[in-house]
Amino acid sequence: MARIRFENVEKKYANGFHAVKDLNLEIRDKEFLVLLGPSGCGKSTTLNMIAGLEEVSDGSLLFDDELVNYMPPHKRDVAMVFQSYALYPHKSVYDNIAFGLQMRRAPREETDRRVRDAARKLEIEHLLDRRPSQLSGGQRQRVALGRAMVREPAVFLMDEPLSNLDAALRISMRAEIKELHQEMQTTFVYVTHDQAEALTLADRIVVMRDGVVQQIGSPGDIYERPRNTFVASFLGNPPINYIEGQIKVTDDQMVRFVQGELELNFPAETAAKLADCDGLTVLLGIRAEDVEEGSHGGAGAVLTGKVNSVLPVGSDLFLGFELFGNELFFRVGKDIGHASGDEVSLTVDLNRLHVFDKDSGASLIW
Amino acid sequence: MRHLFGYEERSAALFLAPVMLVLMGVAVFPIFYSLYISFFRIKLTRPNRTPFVGLDNYTDLFTNELFWVSVVRTVTFSVVSVTAIAVIALLISLLLNQNFRGRRVLSTILLVPWAIPYVANALMWKWIYDSGYGALNGVLYQLDFIDKYMIWLGDQDKTIFLIANAFVWKEVPLAAILLLVSLKSIPSDLYQAARVDGAGVWQRFIHVTLPAMKPGFMLVMIYETMMAIRHFDLFFILTEGGPGDASHVLSWHIYVETFRNLSFGSGAAMSYVLALVTFALSYVFIRTLGRRI
Repeated sequence: MARIRFENVEKKYANGFHAVKDLNLEIRDKEFLVLLGPSGCGKSTTLNMIAGLEEVSDGSLLFDDELVNYMPPHKRDVAMVFQSYALYPHKSVYDNIAFGLQMRRAPREETDRRVRDAARKLEIEHLLDRRPSQLSGGQRQRVALGRAMVREPAVFLMDEPLSNLDAALRISMRAEIKELHQEMQTTFVYVTHDQAEALTLADRIVVMRDGVVQQIGSPGDIYERPRNTFVASFLGNPPINYIEGQIKVTDDQMVRFVQGELELNFPAETAAKLADCDGLTVLLGIRAEDVEEGSHGGAGAVLTGKVNSVLPVGSDLFLGFELFGNELFFRVGKDIGHASGDEVSLTVDLNRLHVFDKDSGASLIW
Repeated sequence: MRHLFGYEERSAALFLAPVMLVLMGVAVFPIFYSLYISFFRIKLTRPNRTPFVGLDNYTDLFTNELFWVSVVRTVTFSVVSVTAIAVIALLISLLLNQNFRGRRVLSTILLVPWAIPYVANALMWKWIYDSGYGALNGVLYQLDFIDKYMIWLGDQDKTIFLIANAFVWKEVPLAAILLLVSLKSIPSDLYQAARVDGAGVWQRFIHVTLPAMKPGFMLVMIYETMMAIRHFDLFFILTEGGPGDASHVLSWHIYVETFRNLSFGSGAAMSYVLALVTFALSYVFIRTLGRRI
């Protein structure tokens, strides 16, 4: 069992770089937690602090209420899979997997049993005598997983483990990692900059930027209810669309988004949250997939504009759409029969709109 | 008309031709000419009688007592020097791989011996070892390690080691740089993985550092062994093979035979033996050290 708690944790490097700022986070036992963010956001540093590879500059890091700030890596009962796999190049696959157990002086038969067990689960039994240089990327990845698995650690740490694999393999390995988590019933902390990986794997996601946590929540929460423009922009493909405009509260308490000729009435629930924002400059966020072709009425508002570009991506179509001078990108069904230059009407689901304060970027509705 | 070689190949050949001609004259021709004369009894004191003797120059070596002495001296010198170079260079490269203040200055200073020409290095050590005004005597005397000035190079038991010391001093910098390069190429991830796996400092050295340094070690062993086996300058300047035959190494033996006794035929034969031994040793090193890389 392993619960990890960060209390006001700071990480500053000798060169003055402030990698992690005032981190407060509790990772639950047996949870699959994903640290998500662009490069340099402090996610790997956070992982390395859990592993004990980086020292905590300030604050407390606790494993099950025990302070581990100064505990060396091998005493923390963690195993780690590195982005580069970090396999020992001169050792066979068998010895790579067994190394951690050998260093802990596990009995020889026990080591052998666990190594063969892990190899069988990962389907790399036939590779045990090979060296890492004789393996493909996917096979190396499995060896790295095996090396972490045999230790049966309390915490499993993964630093962008799939980023060196090709797209197809990445998706199948994703499924295997998820299975592994279910099978091992242990705490997983996973670092990635890939939103798809985060959304598919995580129980909870921590979005980070410049060393500061932006939002912690379930994948659904993070995607549906982003707390600020950074989180909203980081997830979604194509990215969320923004239209800058003003909030107008009318005399009859209707709340409206206004930009030039474009006017949208917010539904009651959203309107209630924006009631005291009259005159505020905001960014209206519309997720690329929250539109439908045609004018349906109901809770939707109809946007009529000109098609600028049509980009087929196989299953769907990305539609570049010009609306009162704003260039927007939407994801629509591939059967839409429009070409560049056509006038088209799209219905926006008003319940799924996002509203952010333009200056702070903070969400006004979540 | 179609040419056998393309325009680029032909112009390359044209540009290379002058150098190739010079190399033929100063390297290729002597190599084959010395093989040729090693089958003749050529002694410049009898320039008009140079009979063909077949392999006699080679077979005579096996019965030549001084030749075998020189082989033993050469092996002693090489083993001592190369071992010392490998160990000291390893320690220095490990030191230079750490981050500390003044590391760059120290690396520059450490390179100085490498930049000194062999003959200058030999003359410097001749001065250091001098029995009358040498720095070694001076330092040891002032520190009370010795109560009178010693004739260092006159001591048969010490000579070969003192020459080895001068050789090591000159060769260590290059070896250290070669080892440092292989150290620098070890990804830091491997050390982190080993730390998480529970390996301590010593185990990380054994399981991560040393195996990764193998190619560097191989290069150092081959290069330094070749240099040591063929080394001549220090023996020529410091001891001329003496005292007695204490530093009578193979290269010195060849020099004496060829240029003092003026026996070019047998000198050439010995040179060929030396070349073959060097070649064989490199082959053994590559086979044994290179196999598992």
